[in-house]
Amino acid sequence: MSQFLLRHDNSPELFQFGQINEFALTKNSSIRLNSFNDSCSEYLRFYYILDGKFDWVINNQHHTLYPADLAIILPGQELYAEKGYLEIGSLYWLNLHLNLQGKEDKNSLSKWSSISSPEFSSIKKILFFNKVPVVSRLQDAGSVFSMLRNELFNQQIGYVTRVNHLLDELLILITRKLTQQNISQRDFPQTFLNLEEALRKDLSHHWTVEEMAALGGLGTTAFSDKVKSYTGFSPMSYLINIRISEAIKLLKKPNANVTDIALDTGFYSSQHFATTFKKLTGYTPSQFRKNNT
Amino acid sequence: MPAKKTCIITIEIGTNAVRVVAFDLAGNTIASMKGSYPTFHSQPDYSEQDPEQIFITMLYVLKNLLNEHIHPQKIKVASICFSASMHSVLAIDKSGIPLGNAVIWADNRAKKEAQKLKDSPASKIIYTATGTPMHPMSPLFKIAWFKNNDKERFKLASKFIQLKTYIIHQLTGEYLIDYSLASATGLLNIHKVKWEPEALLYAGINTDKLAELVPIFASAGKLKKAYQNSLGINEDTKIIVGSSDGCLATLGAGVWDGRKATITIEDSGAVRVIGKKVLNDKKQRFFNYLLTENCYVSGGPTNSGGVIFEWFAKQFGDFKDQFDLDYTMKELIAVAAKVSAGSDGLIFLPYLLGERAPIWDANARGVYFGINIKHERQHFIRAIIEGILFEIYSIGKTLEEHCKFNSLSINGSFASIPLCAQIIADIFNKPVSISQHNYSVGIGAYLLSATEMGIFHNLDEAAKSIVLPEQYFPKKNLHGIYMKHFEIFEKLSNKLKDDFENVVKLQ
Repeated sequence: MSQFLLRHDNSPELFQFGQINEFALTKNSSIRLNSFNDSCSEYLRFYYILDGKFDWVINNQHHTLYPADLAIILPGQELYAEKGYLEIGSLYWLNLHLNLQGKEDKNSLSKWSSISSPEFSSIKKILFFNKVPVVSRLQDAGSVFSMLRNELFNQQIGYVTRVNHLLDELLILITRKLTQQNISQRDFPQTFLNLEEALRKDLSHHWTVEEMAALGGLGTTAFSDKVKSYTGFSPMSYLINIRISEAIKLLKKPNANVTDIALDTGFYSSQHFATTFKKLTGYTPSQFRKNNT
Repeated sequence: MPAKKTCIITIEIGTNAVRVVAFDLAGNTIASMKGSYPTFHSQPDYSEQDPEQIFITMLYVLKNLLNEHIHPQKIKVASICFSASMHSVLAIDKSGIPLGNAVIWADNRAKKEAQKLKDSPASKIIYTATGTPMHPMSPLFKIAWFKNNDKERFKLASKFIQLKTYIIHQLTGEYLIDYSLASATGLLNIHKVKWEPEALLYAGINTDKLAELVPIFASAGKLKKAYQNSLGINEDTKIIVGSSDGCLATLGAGVWDGRKATITIEDSGAVRVIGKKVLNDKKQRFFNYLLTENCYVSGGPTNSGGVIFEWFAKQFGDFKDQFDLDYTMKELIAVAAKVSAGSDGLIFLPYLLGERAPIWDANARGVYFGINIKHERQHFIRAIIEGILFEIYSIGKTLEEHCKFNSLSINGSFASIPLCAQIIADIFNKPVSISQHNYSVGIGAYLLSATEMGIFHNLDEAAKSIVLPEQYFPKKNLHGIYMKHFEIFEKLSNKLKDDFENVVKLQ
């Protein structure tokens, strides 16, 4: 397997794939000083170690990477080698142009990916929720990289579709692994507390049970059962508790507008907010505000 | 025509969850539901809860219980009675809007405020008056903390109330605090049943910053129209202020006269007695909470309950299935049961979280003592359980310096594990009965409501209606073995004080 470096701006192999900025395999057999002072970039970057041992600093945290480990560097995060140079060994890297922050640009994703928009939004959530940027022993990712390379270089019939599928495959693979390794198998209360924090941080998001379950590292059914027995509520009802409690706090502040409150706390509309609010408290939001300020 | 069915609803605002139970008038459970809410730890010593989320969760659970179990059977709700965890503080502004979250019992930010008073001559006067040990859990010190460290909040606060007071105010518009919950604030003179001026002075407030004092039977006013409508209950339903969880758990366990003590062990634990006199302990080791006139619930709390065993299970348990902590703990218990009493000379001090009664040493830490080469995994498991129960016994033993009791009533998920119940009987050398119900707080609140309705003449009679058969009897030979181990346990707990302090500096 020989080294290669494909770049979106000058490699014909990538002309069909606007989403791939760089894809490379490096076999580093000697040390070149100052060869790895990377800083941040706008791309979502993956590094997969084939052999060697690498001491890197990712997003201000030290990590040692071994073969079959995969590093995930989110757009805007910093990556550099602790010693300033790339250590001896070989690795793949792949830089993807994906809009992970803000509202996704539906067109750009649907151009190449078969991941549905809600599933992609869950994947984004999980990538950002994740605090540990290294996934260890992910051999399957290695296989994806090697197939990706074959497809791009051989360009047999159907290769465009295959490449796009492999990218989807990689994203899903990583996301699933992240949800599993994030979770302490022994401590559901702690897991739930982390999840609750994630919900509060992004209350205006229209969370689905699948997303919450993924953050909790469980399948949807097992997750719902766990939450029900732990909190007494279904995941959605629990979320409504948080939404209404936050809304009450905002309603007690005189200047916030009711529609804004509704949207900020994750209701679809002020109508949806008013109905849910009244059902639970007996007051409409505006009556409630009048009685409490 | 058959008489219309009537029920009594109790609402327990606990540390992790609100539990709503509906009882028929004879005290049988019709339905029970719970809903949990989180505790936030934004800094190491902080434990806070969101009053709005607790209110909404309470409302949601109450509504579900009514809609699923009460209204379909056309049962009339005679009364709703409240209980709550002790020691919470919530600052509210002049419009009644919370200034931040509520600070709950587990919050230790007021360590300095507590220590300062403990070291001063006023300590004796205030303990004698309030019956509450000098500990950061006390609202007295939390309010003093606001005064010293959060001047903005202290200045804006028109009142410092309890979570239960807030919930009741949402429902009825009244600011009330019952004698029992008030007696856990460190601010109430439990002899005169009035706010204690010395304590108020230390907290830096006057009485208009506190809710109105009322007896536990008091009506909390009428439910607001909107809630009558949304809950589907009418204005005849009495809202009863109720009491604290600790007092009601004691009442609900049928403990009324001084001859019986109650042991509660959930995450944390307590040993309590009810009596007509305040235990004025020279070393200020016990709390004394006022239930009704001239009736005090006294005892000592511990940090080291089921939470210690759970910690052990998480670290060293055998996990086959995801998240099945309950199963893992059951397995550990089964292993422990096969080891002989005393764990072959292995002793465990369970003070992972520091300790309250009887040593009152926040720096205390956990210790395994006496390990030899023959000790195996199962000894460590049993020693953990015995250590937790030795700590309970050390509270009981100190209590007996003031009042003797000859039997025990136990409740709480950890204490009611059969192995634990038997070890308690053996260590204390007293017969043990177990409350069958998981919610003796709810039973206590039912007894209170039923007494208010005239079903019982008084709480004395109500408590006597709880008859618990004695289920576990002490084995004399084992008691002797345990006492030999306890002697070492007790000595170590006191002897290590300096070393605890030193090791904490490294942590």
